[in-house]
Amino acid sequence: MPVVETFEVEGHIVDSLILAKVLDLVLEAGADYRMVAVDIGRTSVDPSRAVLEVTATDDAAIGRLTEQLRVHGANPVGTEDAVLALADQDGVLPAGFYSTTNLATEARIDGRWVAVANPEMDCGLVVERGRPPPEGPTVRTVPMHRVRAGDEVVVGNDGVRVRAPEKPRGVSTFEFMDSEVSSEKPKALLVRNLADRMRMARDTGGRTLAVCGPAVVHTGGAPEVARLVRSGWVHVLFAGNGFAAHDLESNALGTSLGVSVAEGAPTDGGHSNHLRVINEVRRHGSITAAVEAGYVDGGVMFECVTRDVPFVLAGSIRDDGPLPDVITDVVAAADRMRELVGGVAVALMLATTLHAIATGNILPAAVETYCVDINQAVVTKLADRGSHQAHGIVTDVGPFLRQLADELGA
Amino acid sequence: VSDITALPWGRRYLMCPPTHFGVLYEINPWMHTEVAVDRDRAHGQWEGLMATLRAAGAEVVVVEPDDSVPDMVFTANAGVVNLRGEGPPQFVPSHFRFPERQGETEIFAAWFASQGFAVDRLRPELAHEGAGDALPFLGTLLSGYRFRSDQPAATELSRLIGAPVRSLELVDPRLYHVDITFCPLDDRRALCAPMGWDDYGRRVVEALVPEPLWLTDDEALTFCANSVVVGSTVVMPVTPPRVGRQLEAWGFDVVTCDVGEFLKAGGGCRCLTLSLDVDLETTTGPAP
Repeated sequence: MPVVETFEVEGHIVDSLILAKVLDLVLEAGADYRMVAVDIGRTSVDPSRAVLEVTATDDAAIGRLTEQLRVHGANPVGTEDAVLALADQDGVLPAGFYSTTNLATEARIDGRWVAVANPEMDCGLVVERGRPPPEGPTVRTVPMHRVRAGDEVVVGNDGVRVRAPEKPRGVSTFEFMDSEVSSEKPKALLVRNLADRMRMARDTGGRTLAVCGPAVVHTGGAPEVARLVRSGWVHVLFAGNGFAAHDLESNALGTSLGVSVAEGAPTDGGHSNHLRVINEVRRHGSITAAVEAGYVDGGVMFECVTRDVPFVLAGSIRDDGPLPDVITDVVAAADRMRELVGGVAVALMLATTLHAIATGNILPAAVETYCVDINQAVVTKLADRGSHQAHGIVTDVGPFLRQLADELGA
Repeated sequence: VSDITALPWGRRYLMCPPTHFGVLYEINPWMHTEVAVDRDRAHGQWEGLMATLRAAGAEVVVVEPDDSVPDMVFTANAGVVNLRGEGPPQFVPSHFRFPERQGETEIFAAWFASQGFAVDRLRPELAHEGAGDALPFLGTLLSGYRFRSDQPAATELSRLIGAPVRSLELVDPRLYHVDITFCPLDDRRALCAPMGWDDYGRRVVEALVPEPLWLTDDEALTFCANSVVVGSTVVMPVTPPRVGRQLEAWGFDVVTCDVGEFLKAGGGCRCLTLSLDVDLETTTGPAP
């Protein structure tokens, strides 16, 4: 998308041929200009001034051109530096703080646009000046509880700009699908397209994140997720106590919430199976220890442990047990999730509402998110909460995962 | 018969003895800290330059050196002097690009204030290295930018001194100040090293200087443009034969003054002097 920036250059720009040079540089860079104003000094002592509107192909081009033109005294105008205020207390942002979106964001610091390192919604922007030029200051999102007294925080909206995610060229299946979330979509085509995106991500070094709800196990999808982990298609896993407990239960005892995964029939005393499994894992001290002791020999958690795929199990108030790996402090759990989302290019939200929303909240908009749920409301809810990069697929997650794993040759 | 109409400035210079001079850091391609400066020799050469200038009819004023800033010996970079006719003389101190030299600013500002100069300052964020990057020619300042000075500083300098400034982009890091690429000789002529400028800068000089002596690249790299002109005497650090012959043909007396110890730091005769009698108001500028 073309980007327009207005530049001003002042001084003896006519006699010094500075104006001619600036205009030539604009054209040589493949950009174009429109003269907005030219005031020529009356005498040889009077300075002249020119304002020109420069149109370049994209932001990278305007950035390079800005650096070039700045050397010759032509500076962007109409844009002010972001206003900064010092946090005066740990865990509290200054009043009037700029509240972030998950879109690619830039803040203008010391006259130049600095890209925010880790876009995340509902955070503050903290400026760090530790590094000398040419790297210069950096800007990162910081959730309110992690701000520290003395941090320089952006306040107000001046000097901050966000950019909507770029649409890929051409019409893709997911693009036309974005108009509405519907159960009436050709699933095989959607699966093929998702598999293509996952391959593209893996080829370019991007990681895939799976966020799983317990229904993945109940619907028989856990072995498919385990296949995806084992064959290197899933690189990070987020879930809760329930998903992990039922995955372990189905592998240790062959049931999910007491129901035989193979036969679909309730087993005798099965209602307490998941409690017994949690209890045994607690006896081992961790899921890793239970896997190493041979307590389970398959399943998603087993594959994560044996393949060193990092996982975060975030707790909630109704959890049984919980499993020893569950982080019961939700703020700490979200921080741990933040540490693991770097480099994630594709996120699969599989039959989960709360974990999907929590994950959606911390992901940059550039991450392609696929929300798979039998309930259309869950899919639209995630989109409504601002994660508008979410693609919805309304379907039964178990068969969907089988198709996806087959498509990927997992 | 000489047709020289001598420059209206260049009869009074500020110099700083090389008591603390040495190549202690590297901020231009000529500086190599492993190359030792012979301080006695440097002293001898500096005394020789002072004697040469005095013999040519110039007055030399000496400022006390400061041991924290070894490059203070290069007084050309102290700032821009403008006598402003009958008004109080004006001094615009330099803002140095490199931290190694930034300590010089207040030392020179204090000295000029003590001599009765009004000290006017550039905005602190703008770098400009004084007469090293601003030489007067026909009432216009030719100001270099890129390596040591910022282009917008020229605009501000023009406002402060009330004279037109033309900016020249310097393109060769070895010729990092304008006074290594340009030397006004009289009211028509100047030594010009086009290798130091971009095409726009060359056109600016062509339009300004009626009779340029274009230096070849090899001649330019000898630092011969970093010369001091006192009336009809040209004091040069090195005199390439062709340049010397042309200057003598025009009627100049050419004196070669060995400042080899200072060339080790990337400075020649001009760098070691600051003209104290530049008056940008009484000299008439070119037709606009």
